[in-house]
Amino acid sequence: MGIVKRDFYALRGNGGRLLEIFFWPVLELVIWGFVSVFLRANNVPIAVSMLLGAVLLWQVVGRAQGELAAMFLHDVWSRNLLNVFVSPTSLAEFLTGHVIFGAGLIALSTAVMSGLALLLYGFGIATIGPALVPFVTLLVVMGWGLGVVSIAVVIRFGESTQSVAWVLSAAFQPFAAVFYPVGVLPPVAQAIAHAVPASYVFEGLRGVLDGHGIDWSGVAMAGLLDLLLVAGALAFVAHALRHARRTGRLSKFGE
Amino acid sequence: MDVLTVTALCKRFGSVVAVDGVSFTVGAGEVVGLLGPNGAGKTTTLHMVLGLTRPDSGTVEMFGHDMARDRSRALARANFAASYLHLPAVLRVGEILDVYAHLYGLRRPAARVAEMVEMLDLGPLRRQQFSRLSSGQQTRVLLAKALLNDPGLLVLDEPTANLDPDAADRIRGLLVEQAVTSGRAMLITSHNMREVERMCDRVHFVSGGRIVATGSAVELAGAYGVDDLEAVFLRVARGGAPSSTT
Repeated sequence: MGIVKRDFYALRGNGGRLLEIFFWPVLELVIWGFVSVFLRANNVPIAVSMLLGAVLLWQVVGRAQGELAAMFLHDVWSRNLLNVFVSPTSLAEFLTGHVIFGAGLIALSTAVMSGLALLLYGFGIATIGPALVPFVTLLVVMGWGLGVVSIAVVIRFGESTQSVAWVLSAAFQPFAAVFYPVGVLPPVAQAIAHAVPASYVFEGLRGVLDGHGIDWSGVAMAGLLDLLLVAGALAFVAHALRHARRTGRLSKFGE
Repeated sequence: MDVLTVTALCKRFGSVVAVDGVSFTVGAGEVVGLLGPNGAGKTTTLHMVLGLTRPDSGTVEMFGHDMARDRSRALARANFAASYLHLPAVLRVGEILDVYAHLYGLRRPAARVAEMVEMLDLGPLRRQQFSRLSSGQQTRVLLAKALLNDPGLLVLDEPTANLDPDAADRIRGLLVEQAVTSGRAMLITSHNMREVERMCDRVHFVSGGRIVATGSAVELAGAYGVDDLEAVFLRVARGGAPSSTT
């Protein structure tokens, strides 16, 4: 509860960050929306819903990962991290608090973007149907897994590696098959894509929008990969914290 | 009864021995100072006490809990403030105290926050962001955070280092009052010898990662044949030995 409140107060006290939460996803939505309108006007056989659905769903991964990392980094920048770590709050409670608040932010930004997509391009996210629930869940969990990895990297290797927090989800985008099928990738990239949970979601999204229904085997595979990612991320952050305590690196976050 | 028992703590960073077999206790209501030159190992010792740094060997027992195994339960009854730590810059004072009241699992967080605001005269600052406060005001907020859970052990790392003499004196007065009225145990590092003389029941001088002298300010001055703690500090920092055993 303390961490959730801290995140809420921090967001309320920083108007710039509130703006940033919506700025990039909305910008991407507007750009891709007009690209799809242009292509359709020129009789390029492309479904607007596929592009906009992909944009809307990919921002879920970016938001989940980026917000989790940003909330941690704000404590680093404020030189507040040691205050948290000398409180009785455990690492699990610390991460859970950030995840709960992050879930609220994702819901808010997705709602705003969905409204805009409907208003500007007539695309209703409900077009995706009931598949939306497993798809969003799988993408949020992947984002949180990557967010925990970002935190672990900063704890393990120090503040100088914080740029990982801003690029990690983007690094996975080429392999997530967001705007194209996995089949167009070269073989090595395809192998990587098959290990990325989001690739099954976006392949599934195109299938659903094509009227093929939900590919439950893809959903199950993405779920399994998400579980592996989260388990690996939690093991990594626990290791990073142990290492930071052993080497004295944790104390450096107070300097 | 001891609230803190530190036994044979050792810590090495690469080839540097930061702490080398440090042992001491802090009894209930006792104010203990760790003094020594920069790099002596004071902060590393405090961080091992608080579980921020893991000792290579040795143990820390706080309120009967082994810090290596039962950190959270021990830390629920302790707190920490340091001149080099801040609080979230964009949060308001009242919000910061509310957050930490929850992080420490207080049963009546709003009432305790109100008590702290009153005790540290933070009423006019309650709606101010932390980053907009003066150093003295920030230190008061840090102390309010550190006293929120009514800790049985308060660990302070150079609590008045960034303050002007007036602000430092007020903080010192508050801490002395806390020690006297609440019977709170404290473990303090400081480079201000008058502060230590005024506050500490017992002082450990640390040099090269080891405790080289222990006693009250008067006992130490006597042992080194000097007038005050500052002169003892200079003797210790320059490698001098006591003229008698303390």
